[in-house]
Amino acid sequence: MRGKYQKGLILIVTLSPLLIPFILFFSAGIGFAFIQAFGLIGTTRVRGGLFGEFTRLFTDPWFAKSFFYSLYVAFFSSVFSVIIGTFIAYNIWKLPHRLKVFSQSYTVPLILPHISIAFIILILAGRTGFFSSLLYNLGIIRDQIEFPSLLFGGNGIGIIIAYIYKETPFVVLMLLALFKKINLRMVDTARMLGAGKTAIFFRIILPFLLPAINSTFVILFLYGFGAFDIPFILSESNPEMLSISVFNLYFRRDISNRPYAMAMLIVMFLFACFFILLYTRIHSLVNKKEKT
Amino acid sequence: MIRSYLFLAFITLLFILPLFIIGIYSISGLWHYPEIIPHTFNIRAFLYIQQQAPLILGSLLSSLFYSLCTVLLTFFITVLPAYAFARNHFRFKSILENLLLAPALLPPITFSMGIHIFFIFLGIADTMIGVILILSFYSYPYMFRSLISGFRAYGREYEICAANLGAGTWERIFRIDFPLILPAFTAGGMIVFLVAFSEYFLVFLIGGGGVPSFSGYLFPFLNSSDRPVASLLTLIFFIIPIVFFVLIEVTVNRMYKKRGLLS
Repeated sequence: MRGKYQKGLILIVTLSPLLIPFILFFSAGIGFAFIQAFGLIGTTRVRGGLFGEFTRLFTDPWFAKSFFYSLYVAFFSSVFSVIIGTFIAYNIWKLPHRLKVFSQSYTVPLILPHISIAFIILILAGRTGFFSSLLYNLGIIRDQIEFPSLLFGGNGIGIIIAYIYKETPFVVLMLLALFKKINLRMVDTARMLGAGKTAIFFRIILPFLLPAINSTFVILFLYGFGAFDIPFILSESNPEMLSISVFNLYFRRDISNRPYAMAMLIVMFLFACFFILLYTRIHSLVNKKEKT
Repeated sequence: MIRSYLFLAFITLLFILPLFIIGIYSISGLWHYPEIIPHTFNIRAFLYIQQQAPLILGSLLSSLFYSLCTVLLTFFITVLPAYAFARNHFRFKSILENLLLAPALLPPITFSMGIHIFFIFLGIADTMIGVILILSFYSYPYMFRSLISGFRAYGREYEICAANLGAGTWERIFRIDFPLILPAFTAGGMIVFLVAFSEYFLVFLIGGGGVPSFSGYLFPFLNSSDRPVASLLTLIFFIIPIVFFVLIEVTVNRMYKKRGLLS
């Protein structure tokens, strides 16, 4: 038995360089957010008991609006990224070998920082931006007013476009690694049995990629839901992305708003955890169903 | 065949055109709506950057410094656990593995604001150490994942064989494990570097005014009306990681050639 304990001890020691900072930072990060949301540090006291800020939060229509707006931006940006990314990866995979080198351009947005992507969208998609000029010169619009208000119009389209542009290459990168593992014999057999291109894509390739597409979707969705950099440049004040609201409440308004901002963060955190759990649960259920 | 060329033209246009437009912006003078090409061209942005060179260089070096430190720190904290994960089977392993990847999945703002308070208590808010710690905490999962798959790619046989031939522990680590894990380290390191180098919010939050960064220097320009300067700085922001990656690629290849591992 001693050998087993020794082995366990060695395992814990080898894991500790990561486990100790992980536990420390994680509990500190979430712990301090809770402490402040409960009004236990700082000069401000929370009205209405320990959960006062949370009850205020859930009755605040402005918070609900902000929350659903973030969900909407995250959902559309990640869905479109995944679809376009799958399309591009599939077509790169189908390229003849000697042409594959020329597909490297897709890595450009991977290298560009989020704030630079937001700036590019600002330049291209604004009312007086490049696309607006282009459409004017082509005679499609006669005035900049006729150009749709993609940025700062309250519909979040600018932020969504920026996320799609930044995240599509990420999807391509994740999927291209998988494409190398596709069993080509299966594709050939299907073709010999008379399967068309669409049938091959939807019945062989897509099911093979689906687990990776799912996990990529979760990553992108949660990123879009809570990230700060892109909305900070392309933000709209009404409705407002959650991350921006939290930041403004915490740093730019009266200090008495801090517990409220922290309560918002905790709701975001719990939602993210809940989303991951729900998604993995649904995913494993679907997998089980397919196997039986 | 034509479809392949069309597709290539499409993605090249999609991903290169914005860079091209930024390039034109950086040498533009007057550019009024709805002109497709700027009215006048000048090199004012270049002159401005030349004039501001010490400040820009300072922020760039600072960014490079904390990004490289983040790469090294994430390697040091994940290398042993990754080895343990790749070589052992134990209870709760997959749950623990998923749990340890959480910092890359959760929105960073949710845990970083609390860590900011924690750092103020520790006295490392607004310091380089604080920035490196928060960036490492956010980006280590990429290094961790990469190292686990790197260790999984080769078995224990190499180490056993070397031990049989009389190699000690340190010799095994430096002559067997290190060269074999190097590709995984560079792959993970590139992602960690990119995440750290391009991050704006975490550096801005934890670094405050104390730690200069290129993203922090660039940010005010992006919202200003001085688009030529903002464009030129964005181009610099794009080129530096590429130069860095090429350098890494060349060095690693040379190292392998020297050891005769690559013909």
